[in-house]
Amino acid sequence: MPQAPKLAPTLGELLQERGVSRRAFLKYASYLSAVMALPAGSASALAEGLANARRQSVIWLSFQECTGCTESLTRSFSPTLESLIFDLISLDYHHTLQAASGEAAEKAREAAMAENKGKYVVVVDGAVPTKDGGLYSTIAGVSNLDMLKATAKDAMAVIAVGTCAAFGGIPKARPNPTGAAAIDEIITDKPIINIPGCPPIPEAMAGVVSYLVSFVKLPELDHLRRPKAFFGETIHDRCYRRPFYERGLFAEGFDDAGARQGWCLYKVGCKGPVTYNACATLKWNGGVSFPIQSGHGCLGCSEPDFWDQGGFYRPLSTNLRDMGPALAGAALAGAALGAGAAWASRRHQESYQREQNPNEGDKK
Amino acid sequence: MTAKTTASGVPYDAQGDMADKDRRDAAMKGFVREFGAVAAAHLEACVRCGMCAEACHFYVATGEPAYTPINKLQPFEQAYHRHAGPFAPIYRLFGVVPSVTLEKLEEWERLIFDACTLCGRCTLACPMGIDIAELIKKARHGMFKAGLIPDRLQLMDRTARAWGSPATPADDFADIVREVGEEHGVDIKVDRERADYLVTVAPAELTEHTKALADAAKIFNKAGLDWTYHSEGFEASNIGYLNGDTELQEKMTRKIIDCAVKIGAHTLVLPECGHAYGAARWEAARWYNDKLPVRVIHMTEFLQEVVASGKIKVKPVGQTASFHDPCQLVRRGGVMNAPRDVMAALGLEMRELENNRALTWCCGGGGGVVSNTRADPIRYKAFELKKREVEAAGADRFVTACGQCRITLDLGAKHTKWDRKIENLLELVADNLAD
Amino acid sequence: MTLLEFARGPALQVAMIIFVLGATWRFFGALLLPWRLAPAEPRKGALSPIAAAFKGVVVKMWPHKPFQKAGMFTFVNGYILHFGLAIVVFLFAPHILFIKGLTGLSWPALPNNLVYTVGVVTMASLVAGLVHRLRSPVLRLISRFDDYLSWLLTLLPVLTGLLAAAHLGARYETLLAVHILSICTFLIWFPFGKLMHAFMFVFSRAMTGVRMGQRGAEL
Repeated sequence: MPQAPKLAPTLGELLQERGVSRRAFLKYASYLSAVMALPAGSASALAEGLANARRQSVIWLSFQECTGCTESLTRSFSPTLESLIFDLISLDYHHTLQAASGEAAEKAREAAMAENKGKYVVVVDGAVPTKDGGLYSTIAGVSNLDMLKATAKDAMAVIAVGTCAAFGGIPKARPNPTGAAAIDEIITDKPIINIPGCPPIPEAMAGVVSYLVSFVKLPELDHLRRPKAFFGETIHDRCYRRPFYERGLFAEGFDDAGARQGWCLYKVGCKGPVTYNACATLKWNGGVSFPIQSGHGCLGCSEPDFWDQGGFYRPLSTNLRDMGPALAGAALAGAALGAGAAWASRRHQESYQREQNPNEGDKK
Repeated sequence: MTAKTTASGVPYDAQGDMADKDRRDAAMKGFVREFGAVAAAHLEACVRCGMCAEACHFYVATGEPAYTPINKLQPFEQAYHRHAGPFAPIYRLFGVVPSVTLEKLEEWERLIFDACTLCGRCTLACPMGIDIAELIKKARHGMFKAGLIPDRLQLMDRTARAWGSPATPADDFADIVREVGEEHGVDIKVDRERADYLVTVAPAELTEHTKALADAAKIFNKAGLDWTYHSEGFEASNIGYLNGDTELQEKMTRKIIDCAVKIGAHTLVLPECGHAYGAARWEAARWYNDKLPVRVIHMTEFLQEVVASGKIKVKPVGQTASFHDPCQLVRRGGVMNAPRDVMAALGLEMRELENNRALTWCCGGGGGVVSNTRADPIRYKAFELKKREVEAAGADRFVTACGQCRITLDLGAKHTKWDRKIENLLELVADNLAD
Repeated sequence: MTLLEFARGPALQVAMIIFVLGATWRFFGALLLPWRLAPAEPRKGALSPIAAAFKGVVVKMWPHKPFQKAGMFTFVNGYILHFGLAIVVFLFAPHILFIKGLTGLSWPALPNNLVYTVGVVTMASLVAGLVHRLRSPVLRLISRFDDYLSWLLTLLPVLTGLLAAAHLGARYETLLAVHILSICTFLIWFPFGKLMHAFMFVFSRAMTGVRMGQRGAEL
């Protein structure tokens, strides 16, 4: 039997090497398929696919960002399977995580691109500045804009991790001095998955990568290219405080009796009703808690332009703009126009009076 | 003065030789003059709920939706929005509200004059408090200016302008009352230079019901009051008030009030006439710096006064009676208890009609309708409402306190061959004076 | 800009400005016309003008007996509609927050589920009102475009509000945006149609109150 060419080890083999039992792995696959609401029987298919997948080449580009997304993934409460999976994929380029630096790092990226042409996955965190030729953020003298375009050119798919990459996020917030743009505003000819959140939930990132690696296709996405499995329902719909909303029991501040009772945070600005994310079900830090459970309203961080919704503490039902002066002006203008109209009418009346009844002594 | 019909077949009358445009403009200008804050608030408040329909005797009697009171105001309201309302300049500029056409005015003549007695029952029904009757009266001002009123009313207008009364020339007045005095053996005072009370009369009392002149005299004499009729101010009915002829209304008003002032009267007594009360008691002050120089009371109020003060005594009649509340006296005038007090003094046991006092059904002939023969068919239908209530009450006697109501009810009774006598309160008192 | 941002931002702003401008314009344009409440010596013992005005406003809240039979539906349905709208508009927590954001005033809310129920009743009342209007020859005759448009623009916020509450038909933020936009159309139309009666009815009733009050007549 001729020796087979040395293939890269599969994920299954690598996990086994690290002491992850097949049982634990299957458990993870079932958990993931449950979380992603995949059809029955998908768990074993997912496990199979994952186990047999070769190390996937991934190029991780970090642009206008804060590294929070990477932190979210790597600084999980405990070493989790998803962090292991990220360890085990072939992360050929990642500023924060890779050992190489400088030209060596850029060489690694170019090498990975050449070796895995058409098969590698590009993960992006951070928005891309587009103003003035994109000069506001460069890596090794290359603008983010150019690097993204070049890297994405031969990619299989692009995953925009975090709200900045998915929707522009904080860099794009008004007044957006750098002309920051979301990835899908720049790359229009590749499959793109958005996993927004500031940061995104680790399970969402791992789940999507696992799905992509094992099924080699995109999960079902919503109109904002978010995987429906994690972004299909609003925080509000899954919030354990929802009954208080329906009963009209609200915290009016962060230190009042209502807040201590754990009542609904709608009045203190919770954006849960219009925020699609899995925080209320998956929670954070290994399922310990999520912002609302900790007593703070949802900021809506997985939604486009969440920074510009009139303020985190401004209730959802309020108008976004300060209308006081405009309305006062409108009232004054209305009164003036009304008085003018009445004055014109009075003048007509007087002239008709003179015309029709010149002698009538009608007292006004 | 020829009878005409609009293209849609609605009969109308038109007076004068105005060009179409002038006629329309005259109406618009006449309307516009009426749009004060009160009319505006009323017209701005309507929500088209239709409650007024069920209040109107003409709608209820015929089931004809066009007789819905607020519908009668349509051209008036349209004129408001186009020519006087807050957005009028914009509405005109962009043609949002079109001009009222002459055709529309001609069509609405029937609704504004024939199908409204100004009785004000709709005003009571309106949840928004819109005084529809008052607005229709205002709309008549513009219609009059445009020469778009029923010919019969125009005829009376001209007569009243010429004679000072639609019934008789002022020159004949003194002779008529003297004759009536002789006929009934009553000492009638007329044209005295000075008197405390100036007593005025209504047209019917100068023609069909002359006995009323003697009845009033009898009571004044009996009460020992210083009173007189006067040729210079005898006619209290005010055809200008009904026709929308404000000039005539002022003239008629001034005649009686100035005459009262001239002879030093402290009280002007109005005859048993409804709209005379509206014109002289409630509207006259606009020509006198908001305060009349003389007290104005209705004959019914006078009867209550002299009965209550004991100046006259009446014999008990001892029968049951129903009272027809004249709209202008009761609903629009506020004289609610006076007629009932007098009837109680006469020992009449009241059998109230189902709709009484402020909620009374109109006789169907007010607002000039009884004089406007074109309206006869619907007037007779409206009469049925009253007739049914009177029959249901089943009283021995049927009394009212308005000459116009009495004529209308008499005509209705005659038309339907209804064997009921309609009596006036004044006559009832005069016939039952105790010695 | 998302639809919701557009609704909560420029759309609402423009609608509110048009509402305030138009309503004050119409209000002053009507009430600054000459005041000619018929001058006359009031009847002895008649109500003072202020008392009569007040009485006029109050008495008209319920029909006189002869008008009750024919007007019962109009009155009862009218009350259901107006109370329903008042409850839904002013006692729903998110709405109170909106008003608070605008004026600084706030008050306790009703439980949402109760408000939803009232919303359904209000809708039913609106539909019943339209059916009544279409079936009555009188109402068909006197109704205009204004009546039907005002009806529609009143119905839409209630309907979209209920859909948003029930998450029916679209995503919540879309429903919320559509709900706010429907309120914008309501606000924009308000000063120009019969919705304005909300401000004018007080004056209309009061003026009739004063006129009839000085005469000692019923209102």
